[in-house]
Amino acid sequence: MSRGLSTRGTVQILAGVLLQVQDGHLELAATDMELSLRAKLDGNVEGEGSAVVPGRLLTEIVRLLPEEQVVLEHRVEESTVYVTSGSSESRLRTYAVEDFPRLPDPATSALSTLEAEPLLDTISRVSRAASRDESRPVLTGILVRFEGSSLVMAATDSYRMAVKETSVGGSPPDLDAIVPARALDELRRIAAGAGEIQLGTLDNHVIFGVGDTWLTTRRIDGQFPNYRQLLPEAFEHEVKLPRDEFLDVIRRAAVMAQRSTPLRLRFAEGELTVSAQTQDIGEAREQMPIGFSGEPLEIGFNPVWLRDGIESVVEDELTLKLINALRPAVIAETSGDFWYLIMPIRLAG
Amino acid sequence: MIVAHLDLDAFFAGVEELEEPSLRTKPLIVGGDPRGRGVVATANYAARAFGIHSAMSCAEALRRCPHAVFVRPRHALYRQYSQAVWTAVREVVPTVERTGIDEGYLDVGEVAGDFVSAAPRSRRGESHIAVRQARSAHDNFLAARRVAGAVQAAVRGSTSLTCSLGVAACKVVAKVASDARKPGGITVVPAGREAAYLASFAVRKLPGVGPKAELRLARAGIETVAQLAALDDSTLARLLPGKVGGMLRDRARGIDPRPLELAVERISISQEETFERDVAELEVLRAELRRMSQNLAGYLAGRGEAARTVTTKVRYPDFSIRSRSTTLPAGIDDAETIGDLACSLLDRALRDRPGPLRLVGVGVSNLEPFRQLAIA
Repeated sequence: MSRGLSTRGTVQILAGVLLQVQDGHLELAATDMELSLRAKLDGNVEGEGSAVVPGRLLTEIVRLLPEEQVVLEHRVEESTVYVTSGSSESRLRTYAVEDFPRLPDPATSALSTLEAEPLLDTISRVSRAASRDESRPVLTGILVRFEGSSLVMAATDSYRMAVKETSVGGSPPDLDAIVPARALDELRRIAAGAGEIQLGTLDNHVIFGVGDTWLTTRRIDGQFPNYRQLLPEAFEHEVKLPRDEFLDVIRRAAVMAQRSTPLRLRFAEGELTVSAQTQDIGEAREQMPIGFSGEPLEIGFNPVWLRDGIESVVEDELTLKLINALRPAVIAETSGDFWYLIMPIRLAG
Repeated sequence: MIVAHLDLDAFFAGVEELEEPSLRTKPLIVGGDPRGRGVVATANYAARAFGIHSAMSCAEALRRCPHAVFVRPRHALYRQYSQAVWTAVREVVPTVERTGIDEGYLDVGEVAGDFVSAAPRSRRGESHIAVRQARSAHDNFLAARRVAGAVQAAVRGSTSLTCSLGVAACKVVAKVASDARKPGGITVVPAGREAAYLASFAVRKLPGVGPKAELRLARAGIETVAQLAALDDSTLARLLPGKVGGMLRDRARGIDPRPLELAVERISISQEETFERDVAELEVLRAELRRMSQNLAGYLAGRGEAARTVTTKVRYPDFSIRSRSTTLPAGIDDAETIGDLACSLLDRALRDRPGPLRLVGVGVSNLEPFRQLAIA
């Protein structure tokens, strides 16, 4: 729940958790206006009513509880919630309930039920490529689009782009939205191990349901880059590489690529040389045999982004597609439904 | 290690004199408008005779010397001269740490061997190693003086500018020594003489002693470097708490372990503008930042570099300074992106503390010699 709390701190109520007792259930809710979470808890409930308490404090108190059992008691006249467990008692001043924003109500939305695994896997394949730079909001989101029985997700930070197509069973919803990557990453945490996920839209929100827990997130307005157009159609070289071995070589060499210096990949007849050099720190170099022929090609990559791309591959073998040292490279799988495009670093000299 | 600190003499003024030789005999001040609120960037030696120095307000400089000539700085021009200077220096001493447009440290020890005089050097047996080492250290400092002379000649030959050098076994002593005989001086402090050399200087001459430290030391009656060097641990901890105290006392004793920093030339490039009057109009401030971003982009392009960090600096009428930075996942070098970021950082600074500004500036740092390409 604490992940739904606002950390920006300008609006006090958004740092609060709403505790609401209704129809014999306790429901918790938190929102930072972009993302909101609500969850139902089992327990012995008496009376009805609601209160908003500081979320960080409640989280901290609960984390340190001495006993398995905890009693929450709202004393309206004192504007205080008592949290007691064993011999410990904490009292939290409440915020004004009427200030807490109204959250989108899943009951008013048409929901589709999806198998959890393909949805979560698709998120995990692309979310790393999303941007964290708030100055271009569209790129902080993941494009989520259902086309017939297939789900497409794409993410890019303008230096790399990941695209995954996944076929989904059931009756997929009619959805084509840019969803904040952090909301989808949060969904992965909430839904880990779950069998099904409910999905729906409401106004400009997307709603995900996992059991009694609901995550709603605002859609990001704007035009997502046309990922199909950005994927080059033809390449000069297509090099097949064993995923794990390639990943190990990259990881070892990347240790010596400090301060965001590039990793150099030199492709020559039958051999790939990966090297990194940081001035006054040191250097690393490693070779591996590959099927490559033609004029040697040297290309530089950001080591972290290259590693992200290789790690996103789930098959034993990947194909690295290259044009030249200044054009995009693509990491692809044999199954043909995953692409990780990465732009090179122009090497000096 | 034998290191030289090179400092160009009254650099901006020196360039202006070269560009307009009639200025050479006149008190010349490069800086802001004397009728506005600018400050002196550089004064030539004729102007310094009137007590005018860098960072003094131009209005004050005008009061002290009403017939002085004031010119606005021409940074693009100074950069060209600076580039020529460092190219010439590197031809004599290849290993250089530039610390500014007009100063830097030179690894003189590396080339001193080439400058040892042709006179036959003593060749003694194994049993005299200690003597021979002492002799060769002495030889090396003699050679270092020749290196410094050759650097001066190279700079003069390529640009007609003069510079001063200090030569010593560590940076702090070299830096103090370069300032000792300006203009056109060379001061060599042989190994072992560091503390004695520094002893009589005022503490504020010691690099690292800022106005606050100076004040704290002065209150305790510490005025010379020798007095600072002689402080015991407990007094030192009281006067200058934290690591800085020990560091400054070491420097006062002529101990400075800093090597030349060559790894990344951790230079940041920045521009700033002090306004004639305080400016509150957001559009004016933004236009100013964009204009400066344009210059920075040009400079980056000239160096073939990209910057990952952009910083906007603002100064309020009460002289307090705020700066806001952002660091990107990949370097940028285009004026528009730098300008966009600089403006959004300005918004952030003004959100935290609104009000008119006396100065705005924009800087780029985290410079990389390579360029991460973006998806078209």
